[in-house]
Amino acid sequence: MSVSDWVSISDSTANKVSPYEVYNLPYAIGHGLWEIIGGVIAWLINIIAPGNRLSPFLIGDFVTNMMGLFIMVVVFFAVIFIVNLTMIWIERKTLGRIMDRRATRIGPLGYLQNLADGLKTFLKEHIMPEKADKKGYMWAVSIVIGSAVLIAGMIPLSPRWFLADYGTGLLLIFGIFAVSPFMILVAGWAQNNKYSLIGGMRAAAQMISYEIPMLLVFASVVLMAGSLNINEIVQFQMDNTWFIVPQIIGFVVFMVAATAEAERIPFDLPEAEAELVEGWQTEYGGMKWGLIMLSDYFRGYVACALGAIMFLGGWAIPFMDTLVLPEIVFLLKVVLLFFIMVWARGTFARIRTDQILNIGWKVLLPLAVINLFIVVLLKIGGVY
Amino acid sequence: MALKYLDKYPKNVALRGWILKPFFTTFKNLVKTTIRRPVTILYPYEKEWIPDNYRGRPGLVFEKCIGCGICARICPTTCIELVDIEDEKMGAVKRPQVNLGRCMMCGYCAEYCPVDAMTVTPDYELAAFTREELIYDPYRLKWENTTKGMEVKMEEHLISNLEKGILDQPSAFYELDRPKLIGEKCISCNRCAKTCPVDAIEMVVVGENEKGKPIKHPKIDESKCVFCEQCIIICPKDALEINEVL
Repeated sequence: MSVSDWVSISDSTANKVSPYEVYNLPYAIGHGLWEIIGGVIAWLINIIAPGNRLSPFLIGDFVTNMMGLFIMVVVFFAVIFIVNLTMIWIERKTLGRIMDRRATRIGPLGYLQNLADGLKTFLKEHIMPEKADKKGYMWAVSIVIGSAVLIAGMIPLSPRWFLADYGTGLLLIFGIFAVSPFMILVAGWAQNNKYSLIGGMRAAAQMISYEIPMLLVFASVVLMAGSLNINEIVQFQMDNTWFIVPQIIGFVVFMVAATAEAERIPFDLPEAEAELVEGWQTEYGGMKWGLIMLSDYFRGYVACALGAIMFLGGWAIPFMDTLVLPEIVFLLKVVLLFFIMVWARGTFARIRTDQILNIGWKVLLPLAVINLFIVVLLKIGGVY
Repeated sequence: MALKYLDKYPKNVALRGWILKPFFTTFKNLVKTTIRRPVTILYPYEKEWIPDNYRGRPGLVFEKCIGCGICARICPTTCIELVDIEDEKMGAVKRPQVNLGRCMMCGYCAEYCPVDAMTVTPDYELAAFTREELIYDPYRLKWENTTKGMEVKMEEHLISNLEKGILDQPSAFYELDRPKLIGEKCISCNRCAKTCPVDAIEMVVVGENEKGKPIKHPKIDESKCVFCEQCIIICPKDALEINEVL
């Protein structure tokens, strides 16, 4: 379905393919909201100037579908954003408890601390180094943040909560997921600072060594499910078993590699604050830094969501054929995986620079290959 | 093969649970702190428990003070100064003024005060915007609700006593030495009796001079004397002396 299809059909919320009452819930919300908002606006205009041509236009099919699309995107992003704020809150609270201290303080249970931090960074000055490469400085960080938000928007929360249902599915997500480390290298170069350059180099080295086991695991999952589409992968797991059962090695390898790809402790070498001042973000200040931090959590969310989709059965509840509140179930699984990431962060020290390549190539890659072999054997043996 | 490797390195990580052990440790801490709340104290809202004799800023019991100036002399950072003030009830008196910018909260002034007028207080929130605000005059230095724990007593076991085997008689420092009079130098001026803060000095007639007028010498009441040396400082002819032990 393309955008023109959305705009031109008259009854776009009607159920045509999916087993639910609505095809796309965010779109239905947007459609309904604009029917109320646009209707009120059109009514008010009609009171002031009766018989005008603007009111019928506002409640017509074209404007309703366009605004429905617009509000759908806003609703989808708002949900992801709130989930991310919750995840940051969970991380700070859990780390605080692990370290035996109080964590966030503002708001009920400290939930509004992130908003307070965001407001604080928003009020900071925009500072750029004099000898920095201006275009590289701004564009690289824009792409880092933008790609993180884009892949977060590409993950469906359920068969009825998505922005687009596309066949390339996971492949596209993994492709855009890998853009960011390269842009980190560019940003490190553009800042004209040795710390950020070292951070960027480390990001590139880490990407090279951890991308390959992650993609091998992804290949074995796709091979087992026989499709790249996220819906079909989850449907396959609902029909058979969750992939964590036959591919437990792949799950572990994926979580380690995804932690490294999302640049979280213990794999946060590109921004190792004990060695490099703030790593590749050294010269970024104010809201740029705040958005980089937020995009880190978006990438963490994407890594956990991919883990939930590929191994934990997505939005399915075990031993049930019907879906009950699939969005909530999916987000709970994401939060569970994220909690394991936070737990690992509170447990481990940062990995040494000379160890990352060893772990990537000598441990994770053989394990990923073994996992692929197991999948191939199961597939040939006709188990799946 | 693998077993041989494990035998060779008994502290091998594989035997100690590898990464599972630190995972378990942090999870235990997480559960524990979630149940019993963290130990951190949220300072402006909660405050730590403070013992009775906590050595915060010095405090003053205005009525008890005799203006002897021992605190000013004993202060290691010389932050205490005796100032002349005109009080409504007590008239012209001398009272200590403390510069808290220099005070190091050692509590010596409270220890050495012979009448327990200088005390330690549990007040430790002393931040100010200017250095002038940190100079506490005697009225600001006042502390209501002085408890017994704030009056720090200094008691010493004398080595001579310990040698004799007396262990239960600690003595305060001002019981050790007294001002002594050198009779030939005294001119009977009476200043020591006037300046004594505890009225321990009484002028006694010891004889007559050639003109038939009485010669008066100070007589020191040892039970009243607090060893403040005010008489020695004020004596114009250095007729009084003391073996300084401060």
